[in-house]
Amino acid sequence: MRGSRKHYQIFITLLLIIIGLFTSFPLILAFINSFKSNGELLSNVLSLPSKLYFDNYIRSLEKMSYFRSLGNTVFLAVLAVFFMALFSSLAGWKMCRTKTRLSKFLFAMFVFSMLIPFSSIMIPLYKVVLALGIKNSLIGLALIYAGLGESMAIFIYYGFVKGIPVEMEEAAAIDGCNSIQTFFLVVFPMLKATTATVCITNMLWVWNDFLLPLIIISDNKKYTLLLSTNTLFGQYSSDWTAILSALILAALPAILLYVIFQKNIMKGIADGAVKG
Amino acid sequence: MQSKRKQNFSLIMFALPALVVYAVFKLYPAVTGIFYSMTNWNGLSKEYDFIGLKNFREMLSDDYFWQSVIFTIKYVVVLLVIANVMALVLAVTVESVKKGKGFFRTIFCLPNMISMIIGGYMWRFIFYKVLYYMADNWGWKFLDQSWVGDTRYAFLSIIIVASWGCVGYLMIIYMAGLQGVPTHLLEAAELDGANGWKKFWNVTFPLIQPALTVCLFWTLNSSFQVFDVIYSLTGGGPGRATQSVAVNIYEEAFRGNIRYGYATAKSTVLFLIILIITAIQLKTTQSKEEEL
Repeated sequence: MRGSRKHYQIFITLLLIIIGLFTSFPLILAFINSFKSNGELLSNVLSLPSKLYFDNYIRSLEKMSYFRSLGNTVFLAVLAVFFMALFSSLAGWKMCRTKTRLSKFLFAMFVFSMLIPFSSIMIPLYKVVLALGIKNSLIGLALIYAGLGESMAIFIYYGFVKGIPVEMEEAAAIDGCNSIQTFFLVVFPMLKATTATVCITNMLWVWNDFLLPLIIISDNKKYTLLLSTNTLFGQYSSDWTAILSALILAALPAILLYVIFQKNIMKGIADGAVKG
Repeated sequence: MQSKRKQNFSLIMFALPALVVYAVFKLYPAVTGIFYSMTNWNGLSKEYDFIGLKNFREMLSDDYFWQSVIFTIKYVVVLLVIANVMALVLAVTVESVKKGKGFFRTIFCLPNMISMIIGGYMWRFIFYKVLYYMADNWGWKFLDQSWVGDTRYAFLSIIIVASWGCVGYLMIIYMAGLQGVPTHLLEAAELDGANGWKKFWNVTFPLIQPALTVCLFWTLNSSFQVFDVIYSLTGGGPGRATQSVAVNIYEEAFRGNIRYGYATAKSTVLFLIILIITAIQLKTTQSKEEEL
């Protein structure tokens, strides 16, 4: 019995290692080939580079205006997540604590609209963007993300607030806090874990979203990382060393964030799913 | 106790920022979309007329659109089954391994952190260069296919890349479900003589229904709107063979034709399809959960 358990452990560990290799295969290959010269890449795609050839990276950094694109993406993602967490915690808390028909109606409206797929509103949304004059505006884009993503966030906040006792808020009110003070001094600190979940899951979404910026942002000074990667791919479609180094550069920030916040991200995915 | 009106006023004040962005960027586009789908609005002229159901009638004979609908349904069904089976098997396997659980979880979930635009382009390198290299140098002749250029293989490539991107995410949700299964139930089943498979099927599987529901719902919803992976991997090609509905709508509106009204009509149909399928799915999982 014990022997077979041990064999089983070795067997599945090996199996998982093979699957793990398959999973990281595209990344590893992109990485090793991004350091080769074009000639070396064409002669052997599976070998390690004979010497590190950094020219690809220098070229890609410049061609995709890497640091500007990265700055735009960080600005966009942070702002979008800030709006989303602030707006939906305010709304979710108040909706949960207000027992009126209007409150029930608003909540149902937010929840139901989670079913509306993005692709079915994207064209009328484009018209709204043109009418408001926020085409090519990163702040405008962050507000759009807040509008599209807050249904889910409100749902999560609402569910969490339901589970915390109302007595604390009543005590704060007796002590002379108004609603806004009660929210920021008493309620919001208790929502920290939920806020982390909301921020992380939505940060990943905004960071990796492509279609919405593709429609809204056409000025290359406002390009996000994905947009400039995409443009570079269009320009150099057969120059693999340029493309691969650009892809590595574009993937790097997400991978770093993942390595640092791994535990929170995993928890965020699981929590968001269980409550959603 | 405050009066209802006062409560509602304070509710509106607190929900105001959320309501404004929601109304402007989601509700208003959703509602006006229904109107635009009945106009001949395009990107060229400022004026447009109400043309009733003409767009929808045109759609009936739009072969490219129906081809994209059929392609999308095929994609959804195949991905739904493959990705969820793989994710569940992986989740069970990773949970049962004694050493390195965290490490494997990290590696398997990694593709999910990278946009499918980047992932798709990386896979393009594999399909265009690496597989041919293996076929030529290792004699693995079965790899010598036009992976992106041939209709059949292009579909397969898309499924491979899409699964690569989402299996890790689904696995995390299944693992959370598995961790919620109380060990004493599994031990009791073991005492009753249940073997590994029976234990899984009769004890674990019914208890992870919520995770299953979430995963199926997520896969359905996201794969019906698939855009990124197709855009980066095949661009909808060869020809229009791998165009999903979202790609078809995007092309209609923002490439070449600029027929916003007609494209909006298509997107209204997409919404209806998703709505019906979600309703069916919620209904069936609800009745299943009641059975338990």
